[in-house]
Amino acid sequence: MLVRKIVGHLASIAALVLLGGLLSATLVRLAPGFDTDERELDPSLSAESLRAIRAERASQHNILRFYATYLRGAAHGDLGTSQALGQPVGNLLRERWPVTLRIAGVGLLLGWLLASTLAFTACLWQRPPGEVLGTALSGAFLCIPAAVLALASVIFNSPGYLAIALIVFPKIYRYSRNLLAKAYAMPHITAARARGLGELRILARHALPVAGPQMIALAGVTISIALGAAIPVESLCGLPGIGQLAWQAALSRDLPLLVNLTVLVTLVTLLANSGADVMNYVLRPPEA
Amino acid sequence: MTGHPLSFRKRGRLSFRAKRGISFILALSCLLTLAAVAQNSSQLRFCLRTEPKTFDPLLVDDESSLAIRYLTGGVLTRVDRHTQELTPELAESWKVTPDGKQINFKLRHDVHFSDGTAFSADDVAFTMKRLMDPTLHSPVGDEFRAAGNAVITKVIAPDQVSITFPGPIVGIDRIFDELVIVSAHSLKKEAAVLGPFMVAEYKAGSSVLLERNPNYWKKDSQGRRLPYLDSIHLDIQSNRDVEMLRFKRGELDLINVIDTDYFDRLASSSPQLVHDAGPSLDSDFLWFNQVAAASIPEYKRAWFRSANFRRAVSEALNREDIARIVYNGHAQPAVGPVSPANRFWFNSTLKPEPHNPQASLDRLKADGFHMQNGTLVDKSGNPVEFSIVTNAGSKPRERMGVLIQEDLGKIGMKVNLVTLDFPSLIERISQKFNYEAALLGFHNVSLDPTDQMNIWMSSAENHAWNPQQKSPETAWEAEIDKLMRAQAETSDAKKRKQSFDRVQEIVYEQAPFIYLVNLNALSAVSTSVAGANPGILFPQTFWNAERLTLTGTATAKR
Repeated sequence: MLVRKIVGHLASIAALVLLGGLLSATLVRLAPGFDTDERELDPSLSAESLRAIRAERASQHNILRFYATYLRGAAHGDLGTSQALGQPVGNLLRERWPVTLRIAGVGLLLGWLLASTLAFTACLWQRPPGEVLGTALSGAFLCIPAAVLALASVIFNSPGYLAIALIVFPKIYRYSRNLLAKAYAMPHITAARARGLGELRILARHALPVAGPQMIALAGVTISIALGAAIPVESLCGLPGIGQLAWQAALSRDLPLLVNLTVLVTLVTLLANSGADVMNYVLRPPEA
Repeated sequence: MTGHPLSFRKRGRLSFRAKRGISFILALSCLLTLAAVAQNSSQLRFCLRTEPKTFDPLLVDDESSLAIRYLTGGVLTRVDRHTQELTPELAESWKVTPDGKQINFKLRHDVHFSDGTAFSADDVAFTMKRLMDPTLHSPVGDEFRAAGNAVITKVIAPDQVSITFPGPIVGIDRIFDELVIVSAHSLKKEAAVLGPFMVAEYKAGSSVLLERNPNYWKKDSQGRRLPYLDSIHLDIQSNRDVEMLRFKRGELDLINVIDTDYFDRLASSSPQLVHDAGPSLDSDFLWFNQVAAASIPEYKRAWFRSANFRRAVSEALNREDIARIVYNGHAQPAVGPVSPANRFWFNSTLKPEPHNPQASLDRLKADGFHMQNGTLVDKSGNPVEFSIVTNAGSKPRERMGVLIQEDLGKIGMKVNLVTLDFPSLIERISQKFNYEAALLGFHNVSLDPTDQMNIWMSSAENHAWNPQQKSPETAWEAEIDKLMRAQAETSDAKKRKQSFDRVQEIVYEQAPFIYLVNLNALSAVSTSVAGANPGILFPQTFWNAERLTLTGTATAKR
């Protein structure tokens, strides 16, 4: 059953990634200003050079043909060449991915640490101050746009992962707090309390097993939130990661780069979500 | 009490051994500090605003790559960024034949590439061959192809080379300022340079490290080999707020071009750090769409094609206000396509169009326009309303648009400002032509008008108001075509100047581009940088990079 589930997930990931790439290519192709290049305004270029610049883009006019060529190249390890940066996309992704992995990874860890600590404290303590603190903090950070947090990170010279942690924190806190509150409202927890079980034991043995599967699913979702947050954070903080690259690619309508980035982010998001699903399946297999 | 060298005597005086010990420690710490200073002080740091697109000097077409090319490349002749005069570099001397078709260079001796290979005429011939390769599509090569592709390079001797063009090339010696000589014999051609620095490390999206070229040929008056700096660290940073913050923190030594808002903020706290070198070659301007096939109502096209209408708009605009409000006084009302900063080519008989709404209304009356309930209407009763497209994210342009709206509102015109991201804007103004008026800037790096051929020739693609005309649609465009050809076909500087002066006069009279302001060249340089003399030509602050030094005090800050 597990193998079947994994195979099913892999098949749907492959289908969605292919579809995501095609959709991204179509959207970029239809975006205003797709068929232009800043160099066209350079008066020092001759008519021949301008024609050569336009010819570079001509291969992308038919989006299905472009996508088929892209997939053929990708199958042989050639992800194409960025139009805006003039470098092989594969190299760009290899150089930039570690930066995003680090800041998004550390940011996620910190965000989870802060959110879960506050959520658990609020549940364990069961006193208004803890609840108020968590709600106030998450409410405040939920209201602040990601770009403002990124800008604050620039002003205070703090690391980019801190901004990502503060962007993901309120979402994790709110959702996990609600899950735990729902779990704590269940009759078996009341019964456990009536039997005089300690709060820590109630949390570990009775509340977490109820809320756990959904928290694992939340973990999968927060990966895509962190990747999304990496775009403003990296762009504003000047961090050379995938987020900054995506921003540059979008501004310059860099089709090969944007398609690859979409495929990559879709792949990571789907893998994370499917991983969470499979993990839930392993931890709590459905009863026959 | 005498046992320990650092012990005090009873009367509080130090023993001889203690004094000697302290002196030794002090001297040692001074030496270590100096050593540390010496080790770190010679790295200049500043930002590139975008990722360099190429390190190939013949393919450079963006400002970041241009900066790297300037710092690493060796050229035969160089336009002095301060005097605007042509100076010898790798060519000791040169001679242009009277017909302007051939240039003969005498090359410098004992010059070596950074990898140690000797520089000779072979390298010039190799560079020319590569430059003229039609498959390379070199933007630099376009200037050399002005008279055709058949360029012949002949090596006369190891130190002599002649280059013959199929036709006369104006400013033939000046175009070599952009041609970086690449090595013919080095094994790693891209790594062998003749400039003061060489690329040592490139971290994509992050930084470029340039290190001192140990074989650089220039020496100072004391015979010391240049450059003084050990390295230059170029951070790739598009966010100007971050750049400014880092400069304030002492992490950067200069900002090559600084926005007026930042300039004033910095000037209020540290006036010694900012430099306003006066009007640059850059200008902001407005133009109306005159394309026959553009999807705009016929009556609007008639307005836009009327010189009276365009001049009236020009007269209604208050350029002084734009310079004062948009650029906080760091701009000058513009006259035409040539900034007064371009000393030779500027037509000094022309003065900026004075702000005169009444004269503007009088001019419009001549075309049948009149006021109706506070709104200007044309002779058919159509209210004068049009939109101006400009690039989003540019605060000065957005502010300028608001001022234009206000000024034209005073003569009854309704203006709508539309901001678009750059690719969308390019598409509208150069491909679809679905716009009415556009507000943009011209970032000029060249002094010679020949580089503006693609703007002024009616058949050119960058003839923005009505490009790619099969034959000139107006008499004044035909005259400009003739004058531009005339200035490009003679090497007589006086005749060229006469022709281009007349072009400037026609542009002033016909206002196809309504020039608004010339921006000042603003920069910020840390006091730790010695030898900086910011100018108006690119690269404003580091044009003399090989002679820049860093003082120790700033190092301590870093």
